[in-house]
Amino acid sequence: MSDMTLMSNEIRALIAYALILFVVAVGVFAYFVYYYKTKVKKPKAEDSSLVLDVAYFHERGKRARQEDSYYISPMDESRKYGLVACVSDGMGGMRYGDIISQYITDAIKEMHPISFFAYENNAESIRKISNMVFDEFKQKGGATLAMVQILNDHLTFYSVGDSDIILVRNDEATILNPRQNYVALLIKSLVRSGKQTQIAYSNSKARALVDYMGNHNPRVIYTKKPMRLLDGDTIIVSSDGVTDAIPYRNIPKYDARTARGLAYNLKLSVKQKKYPRQDNYTGVVIKLQRSIV
Amino acid sequence: MIEYYTLMHKGNCDEYTDNIFMNFGSTVTVLIIYNGENELPLNEDEKTRVSTYITGCRGIPFQEVSAKLKEYLPEGTAYMLIHINDSLINIERHGQVYASIIKNGEIKLLPNGPFSIEDDDRVVCGTAEFFRYLSQPAILSDAITAESSEEWMDNLVCRISERNQLSEGNLTAVTLIVRKDSDTKI
Repeated sequence: MSDMTLMSNEIRALIAYALILFVVAVGVFAYFVYYYKTKVKKPKAEDSSLVLDVAYFHERGKRARQEDSYYISPMDESRKYGLVACVSDGMGGMRYGDIISQYITDAIKEMHPISFFAYENNAESIRKISNMVFDEFKQKGGATLAMVQILNDHLTFYSVGDSDIILVRNDEATILNPRQNYVALLIKSLVRSGKQTQIAYSNSKARALVDYMGNHNPRVIYTKKPMRLLDGDTIIVSSDGVTDAIPYRNIPKYDARTARGLAYNLKLSVKQKKYPRQDNYTGVVIKLQRSIV
Repeated sequence: MIEYYTLMHKGNCDEYTDNIFMNFGSTVTVLIIYNGENELPLNEDEKTRVSTYITGCRGIPFQEVSAKLKEYLPEGTAYMLIHINDSLINIERHGQVYASIIKNGEIKLLPNGPFSIEDDDRVVCGTAEFFRYLSQPAILSDAITAESSEEWMDNLVCRISERNQLSEGNLTAVTLIVRKDSDTKI
């Protein structure tokens, strides 16, 4: 052990100063650590919002005309009013499918900005659009409508017909909107009589729509409360030309880091199937990612 | 008031061997018994005893009903007991019978115990066989788009049918909606 008495007074004073400085430095450091932990507000999940990344594809398939239409509300207003995206699919084989689907998406565009929380009013407005189509086209054509609105972390949707609103979460795809087609009615009836439902799918009219835009006062299926969205969720609004070519449960296989990447993969995949009767196919892809603001 | 709709479907089995027992009043009691692969179905005596008890259980506290069922049901029976009124739900589950609650646009699995509920909260309870092909977002979106407990169930069944044409085991479930509005019919 060293003998302190052998040190000069200056050296001892220096050591004492160094010790004092060290203690002060440790104290200041501890204070800052305490201050940071208690006073500095760290960003929480609630302070962040989901950033939307949007892309779309709109292809003709093998049909003579493009009968799908779509609308995406202005992105620069999405923080204020939410993002609205919709797809309308004109009923094939009827005279005005293309005009009606465009009519519907134009009418939705006219509704901008759409109140996020006025679900019932929005559903009523959609019903009125259908009634206008009914008055103008006298059921010589019709279309589907699948529409989503996303504000912050929440989703509402509206649907008439059988176009799809698909949620991809944790590599699993779910169609959110019930389809208004004949098979759903057949299943209901078979279940009530305790039967299995194979026969419903083999019915030649299984896919026929039981409600559509252009019908008078159609049933608009809509969310009565917003649905919470999570970081990493993807929403796809599409015509059935997409899900006929790619079973919806396979969609996660085509996922990409960006909406554009996923939209591109889906479009390419449908094209590569080369189905001789490929329907028109349109999809709006919305990816949601957490971002601290 | 509680609006409800039940599903009892035998699937491709010869018989329907699950059970649902219910008691209706301001508090609704639901007892679902699941006859899965590892369980034996209740014999007629057990069924009668449980049925008689549930039929007469109005006003009896949840804990008491729960204790009595433990006495009546063979050990290892998979079942769920629910007491629900327009402000509280109480649950006790054993084995592969589950319940989810839809509240404020979110879905959560209900654990055992009492939970407060409010107007328009929605609950679905059913056997593992019923939930096999239903994802949480599917249950949630069907709940928040449905006008009634019946429509909600119909949509869920359509999803199951899409996967297996109802050609597997027994399907047993109940959808429940809390309606503070006294005009609502049960």
